Parts: sequence; C-alpha cells; structure tokens
Amino acid sequence: MEPEEPGRPRRLRLLKGKGRSSTVAVHDEAEVPLGETSGLRFIAGFIRRDKIALTGAIGIGIFFVFGLIQGILETVSDYTHNLALSYSILPSNPFTFNFANSLAPPTFANFPVGIFGYDEVGRSILSRILYAIPKDALASVLIVISAIVIGMFLGISAGYLGGWADEILMRVTDAFLAFPLIVFAVALSLILGNGYTVVLVALTIVWWPTYARFFRAQALTLKSRGYVEAARLSGLSPLSIIIRHIFPNAIDPIVAIATLDFGNVILVYSTLAFLGIGVQVGQPELGSMAASGLQYVPHSWWFPLFPSLVIMAIVVCYSLLGDRIQDMVGGRLSY
Amino acid sequence: MDSRFLMFVARRAVNAVITILIMIALMFAIIHLVAPTPQDLARLYVGTHFTVPELNQIAHRMGFYQPIYVQFYNYVTGIFHGNLGTDTQYGIPELLVLQEYFPVTLNMVVLGTILGIIIGIFTGAIAASNRNTGTDYGIKAIYLGTWAAPIFLVGVFLQLVFAYELGLLPTGQVANPTLAIPPAVTGLPLIDAILAERWVYLYSYLRHLVLPAVTIAVISFGGITRLTRATMVDSLDKDYVKLAYMKGLPKRQVVWGTAFRNAIIPIITLMALSFAFTVGGSVVVEDIFSYHGIGFFFVNAAYNLDYPAILAITVVVGLAVIIANFIADILYGIMDPRVRLT
Repeated sequence: MEPEEPGRPRRLRLLKGKGRSSTVAVHDEAEVPLGETSGLRFIAGFIRRDKIALTGAIGIGIFFVFGLIQGILETVSDYTHNLALSYSILPSNPFTFNFANSLAPPTFANFPVGIFGYDEVGRSILSRILYAIPKDALASVLIVISAIVIGMFLGISAGYLGGWADEILMRVTDAFLAFPLIVFAVALSLILGNGYTVVLVALTIVWWPTYARFFRAQALTLKSRGYVEAARLSGLSPLSIIIRHIFPNAIDPIVAIATLDFGNVILVYSTLAFLGIGVQVGQPELGSMAASGLQYVPHSWWFPLFPSLVIMAIVVCYSLLGDRIQDMVGGRLSY
Repeated sequence: MDSRFLMFVARRAVNAVITILIMIALMFAIIHLVAPTPQDLARLYVGTHFTVPELNQIAHRMGFYQPIYVQFYNYVTGIFHGNLGTDTQYGIPELLVLQEYFPVTLNMVVLGTILGIIIGIFTGAIAASNRNTGTDYGIKAIYLGTWAAPIFLVGVFLQLVFAYELGLLPTGQVANPTLAIPPAVTGLPLIDAILAERWVYLYSYLRHLVLPAVTIAVISFGGITRLTRATMVDSLDKDYVKLAYMKGLPKRQVVWGTAFRNAIIPIITLMALSFAFTVGGSVVVEDIFSYHGIGFFFVNAAYNLDYPAILAITVVVGLAVIIANFIADILYGIMDPRVRLT
C-alpha cells in the first residue's frame, strides 16, 4: 500500500463510513476492524463471503471482456472489409439466411447454435445476440462516463460557487428532467438524424442532469467541511479547491450510482432500439430483435424472449453489484 | 393555511413556471440548432415533399424569416395559446390530436402508477419489517427481476400468458372496436363511459385496460419497493417504534400504525418521478398492446418523421411532468411541515 497523500483519501477510506462506528458488522463472524482493511483483504473477503455480488461482478466481467473482443473483431472486419472475421468467434454466421431453419424452435442439436432458436429467415438468435453485445457495452460505458464528466463540471461548479450559477443550473436540470427519458431521447435522436452515434449523443444529453444534481449536492456538503475551509483560508483559488479537494472526495459515492446506471442505460438503449431508433437495417440489435420477434408471437415466443432475457440478465448483474457497492459507500458494509 | 405555507406554494409555483419557460426555450433552441435556415425549419414543420420556392413561401407564411427573438416570442405564446403546429400526417392541428389521444394514456398511466405505488409500498414495508429473512430476500429477488426487465419483455410476457395462452384478457386495443365510443365530455374514457352510462363499453374498456396498466405497475413498483424498504428500515430503528413495542402493541400495529406512517413521506417525491418514468414507458406499452394513446401516436409519428407531432408531444408531456412534480412538492409540504422552511 503506497503512502497516503494528505487531503486526498484513498478510495478505501471512504468505503469505511466516516466517523461512525469503528466496526460495521454485516455477517456475524469476523468483524474486521476498519482500520486494518487493505485492498487485498477487501477483495479476498468479497470473494469469500459475497456470492451474490460476485455473481454480478462475474456476469459483468464476461459481458465486458466478450464485448471488447467481439467489438475489436467487428471494427477490424469493418475496416478490412472482411466480414468473416467479425463472426469468427461466434457459433455461426449471424447474417446468412437459411430458410430450412426459419422460425425453428430452440434445440440442443448442433449445440450451441440453436439453443435460443432461429429467427424468421433461419439465422441463429444466439449468434445475433452475441454480435449485438459490443454495441450495448460501448453505449453503457460511453454514456455514463460522458454524463459523469459533464455533470461533474457543471454540478461541482454550481454547487461550490452557489448564487445565480446554482439557481440557473437547478432550473435547467429541472427542465431537462421534466421530459420522460424515452420520449426525450426519441425526439432528440429523430431531430439529430438517425444512427448509433446519434443515439449515444441523445442519451448523453438526456443523462447528464441527474449527475449534475448529484455532484451539486456533493459539492454543497463538502463545501462546509473543515479541510475545504482551511484551504480557502490559506488563499487557494476556487478552481484549485474544486480540483484538489471537492472533486476527489465527490467521486467515490458516484461509483455506486454509476454501476446501477450502466444497467439503466442498457435498458433505455434497447428500448430505443425496440422502437427502431438508431438501428441500421440488417445489423443485429437486442431491442430491435425483440421488436421484430413480436410479429411472430405467440407461435415463435423464443424470438422476442431470448434477446429480452439477455438484456435483463445484464441489468440484473449490474444491480447486484451496484447495490452492494452502494452499501459499501454508504458505510453500511465492510469486509 | 398559514402565510408560511402560502409562501411555500408561491415559491414552488414560480419555480415551476420558470422551469416550464426554460423547457420551452430548450425545445426552441434544439429545433433552431438542427434547422438553422428558414427553409430547413419549414421542411421540419411541413415535410420533405415540397420544392424550394414552396418552402420559401411556407417559411414566410410561418414567420421563419423574422428575427430570432420574435420567433421565440411567437413560439412561446403559440404554445400557451394551444398552437402546437399542424400535423403533417393528418393535416389537423396537433392540439386536436393530443386532445384525442392524451386522456386515454393519462387514464392508463395514472391507474398503472397507482397500482405500482400500492404494490411497491406494501412489498417494501413487508420486506423491511421482515428484514434479512426469506421474505425480504424473496421480495428483493422479485423486484430486482422486474426492475431489470425491459418494458417490452414484461409486456410481451403478460400478453403471451394472459391473452394468448389463457385467453383471459384481450390482446390489445382500448376497447372492443365494435362498440360505440361514449361522447367525449372529460376526454377520459373511464369517466365518459360512466357519465353516458355505457356499461358494456365500460366493462370492455376495463378489461382492455388490465394488461397495459399491470405492465406499467410491474415495471414501476421496484423503485418504490426499494425506497419504502430503506425508509421503513430507518423508521423501525427509531425510538418511538421501540416505545410502541415496549407498550406491548402487536407487531402488525407497530409496523403499519407507527413506523409506516412516518416512512411514507419521502416516497411522495418518488411518485412524481415514477409518473414521468411511466409516461415514457407508456410509449412502449402502447406499442405492444396497440393501445391507441399518445404513446402509440408518438411511435407512429416517429416512424413517419412527423416532427410537429413529436415536438408537440414532447412539450405537452414535459408540461404534465412539471405539473405532477409541483403537485408532489405541495403534497410533501402538507405532509411534512419541516419541508416548508427550506
């Protein structure tokens, strides 16, 4: 463990819940004195005791690692015009029609190609789901991170400076938050023109106000802390105070919210795809697969069901992990 | 009604009005950023099948050559006069379209939200009073599942099970289309049918309402369960709850009479947020159940790139949400006097 800089607490220290009890008992055995929590011990305790959050973490890990590899393959194949490369690690080609299998139900024959059934032109639903994963992974990461960055700058400055800047920011975020998410995102992406990038931009525009409000609240509480006042008295400029003191201390609690939010982004993103927003013709997309499968309900229930279940599984993993991180940040839990 | 409370209401009202104005300005700015020239604007409002001279003429007629502040003034006054543009699909004013479709959605969303709130509050309170037991974990598993489920999964699932497999409920539509629609008095189908004493229509309407409203309830109750559980857990740790137990009151009375009443207040704010969320969700729900409300119309407009309709719906829905937030704020103030001081 490297030496700690004064004024910049390491992440783990914030997880301990400032100034409350010295130990937090979650499970009856092994109350770990908080002062002794080290990074390694934390991870070991996490793996040993928290099977539920571990499941979430593993699920998300697989989602991201697979998304990264598949995403790289798809991008490379796009640039080299070598389509075969983009599905080289998938069970089957997600684009070729095979009418013999048209709307065939899930089957264990030819494992694992057919376990989720086939769509209306006989493409493996599993392959198409896997092909669509990188877009969802990228969307969730990009949107949450850009929303955090924008919200951080505006929220912290408004909260710290107060007065008119604060008042204006609050009313603007009120106005943004008044639009129901899906309605506003659809309107924006239609006005800006259709496409994947447009959906990312539209969702970022929809997403930042929540974070702005959150960071503002953080800045307001941190502003009155002793070390911030000491910094102000010592003549530090507002900008340096924000950068050196407010920001490092405001970022920790955001981790929990962001983890839960990754799942929300995927939900809204797939809902937009369900409505046909940001989908390119022929490209697999979880939401749009569910939408096209809807025409074949009730006979081919597997067609809309499995893409939706995959979305649900991803979001559940995020919730399991995010819930637990929130408990840790809130000081209710420690290992 | 003391003067402090009136001040509180006045301050919230001013905030709401400012928010509405900023929201309208936001819409105006987005439109003008995307369509910077008068021709672009005209194309946005009347569709693409016009020649450039025709577009110029339309732009002149609609005042798009005027200075930007005049346009803004016209836009704002237009909205408050109910002038939301003309629909490019139907060729009638948007206000008429909205009058037709919005009440249908409002009826469904309000009933669905109320159902979701009731389920959420009860499951949350039950989970909190049985903390860290099987019941608690069971409720958590259920709400995590419904929370994480995409709206269309819930809708399709309910439709598959209750409409197609069991045949208990209709698969879609607002009511049986062969029945005459009761004359519009309030616009809300439920109240209109009662006023006109059309009991057959009312029965059909309610049967068709069940699945969409339940879908809305299912997707929205998770957040409320979560918050209710959290506030109830706090409330159950308070001294007055311990006192109630010490007085020898039965658990049921302590949970529902003492702890529950104090835990309910923070949930009101979430109810308004929940309303905004479900209005957005109604877009998908109505698409699945072919429920002809504003969401169905919105999706239709999106497919046909009917920009005036999209903009009008966005503004009207935003207004509805701001009003809902305002009402929630006031309710909050009534129920918790401490809020009025801030």
